[in-house]
Amino acid sequence: MTGDILLKFDNVAVGYDRHVVLSDLQLALPQGGFIGLLGANGSGKSTLIKTILGILPPLGGRLEFPSHQGRAPVLGYVPQRESLDSIFPLSSFEVVLMGVCGRVGPGLRIGAEEKNFARQCLHAAGAENLSRQPFAQLSGGQKQRVLIARALAARPEFLLLDEPTAGIDAVASLAVMELLSRIHREQGLTILLVNHDLRVMQKYVNHVLWLHEGRVLEGTAHELLNRDKIAEILGWQLH
Amino acid sequence: METLHEMFSPDFLLRNSVYVSLLIGAACPLVGVYLVLRRLVFMGVALPQISSCGIAFAFALHTWGAVPHLENGENTLAFAGSTVFTLTAILVLSFLERRGRGLVEGRIGTAYVLAGAWSVLLLVKNPFGEHGLLDRLKGEIIAVSNSDLAWTAGAFALVLICLLLFQKEFMLVSFDPEMAVTLKKNVVVWDALLFLLIGLTISMSVLSVGPLVTFGFLLIPPLIARLFAANMRQFALLAVGSGVASSLAGFYIALRWDLPVGAVDVALLGVVFAVMCAGKKIFSMSRPAPV
Repeated sequence: MTGDILLKFDNVAVGYDRHVVLSDLQLALPQGGFIGLLGANGSGKSTLIKTILGILPPLGGRLEFPSHQGRAPVLGYVPQRESLDSIFPLSSFEVVLMGVCGRVGPGLRIGAEEKNFARQCLHAAGAENLSRQPFAQLSGGQKQRVLIARALAARPEFLLLDEPTAGIDAVASLAVMELLSRIHREQGLTILLVNHDLRVMQKYVNHVLWLHEGRVLEGTAHELLNRDKIAEILGWQLH
Repeated sequence: METLHEMFSPDFLLRNSVYVSLLIGAACPLVGVYLVLRRLVFMGVALPQISSCGIAFAFALHTWGAVPHLENGENTLAFAGSTVFTLTAILVLSFLERRGRGLVEGRIGTAYVLAGAWSVLLLVKNPFGEHGLLDRLKGEIIAVSNSDLAWTAGAFALVLICLLLFQKEFMLVSFDPEMAVTLKKNVVVWDALLFLLIGLTISMSVLSVGPLVTFGFLLIPPLIARLFAANMRQFALLAVGSGVASSLAGFYIALRWDLPVGAVDVALLGVVFAVMCAGKKIFSMSRPAPV
């Protein structure tokens, strides 16, 4: 981590259709951090991530990007894979190519250079052998690799992932987390991921946002993910 | 072979109708691809019906004296009514669909039955519009003038050019609109443009062949293509290929055995779809199961 602040929440309220899910958020996400977003179902994790992405407008307050002189960084997004309809007969390579669309203007064809870069992203995600396979027919772990490759193809400065390991087996889940860890280490990319698994979070992330009962607890993984703190937050009795 | 020769002979009275039929066989499947992929098939049923209602409404306005009489203005009137109704309906329905509230199928179904009922009510006392529109509703492909052919070809060429130019944007906002937002694409604008192209194609097609045939070509060729396509290029090419081949074969059969072209086209598409489904099933059963 560089010590700079990538994203600052200034009294932000998030929600949808004028329904406030989280309010008065005062947060600072570190540049270059590997940030875990924790919380129970319905606690507002997806709403928060979609607000950062610009998919949902904040219902109040301001989001600022101090380390980018106010401009929003290029975002890479890995959605929950169930949100993508399997009716589309897209090859994995066609899915990854969507990532470069932000740099190729309307009406222009995607050039050889960008196609090569998309192949490199598939390679970086360990999915080069999936290039020609129909995306809809891939396993959960394979789809996740292709979606991470697509996000990397956007040349992101900030990568956000919504439950990248949900619904996939333990081995595939571990492989996805190792991949993200490697990308973070090698590219110095700021990563924010939603995950329910405390043990995975303990092992990989260095900064934590924990949505709990309408509040956001923020701290380092060491501060928030130790046994006593977890028990305190969840109200468990430890013996 | 003789019949096929006759169809493309310069002296053949319905030669322009053959060309229009082929154009519709290519254009409707191309935009139908997006209706099928976005699971808006019901919209594909409702829009041609709404387009017909627009034609009936335009003819009714003429009968009521609300629009001036135009020399040979029947087609202009029909085009205006069809286009205004189709584009309005597609923009309203797609806007409501994106908002995600209410029952989408219920809204589209209601629009379909209301459009059907109003088409009948507007035509029943209207001798000016009844004859022409009833032919279209039955799927009779009528004689097409050179200027109508040119207009249809021009409109479909515009649709094709836009679909080719903006293919990556249309695919992105259709497949993953949230990702499109993160890439700074204006999803509302791209959706609106796509729906305008779909609406224009449907309007032009309904004017020539009526709602039944239009829906048949919007839906069935993409479903045939989906059985075999491994990527989007194959999907689009197979859909257009099966649409054009069926419209050509349908015209041939109709001419050879004196049958209504539209009904033959749709029935033929149904047969091709059934054969392809069976073929795929047999092919997949004959392959060894993966270990």
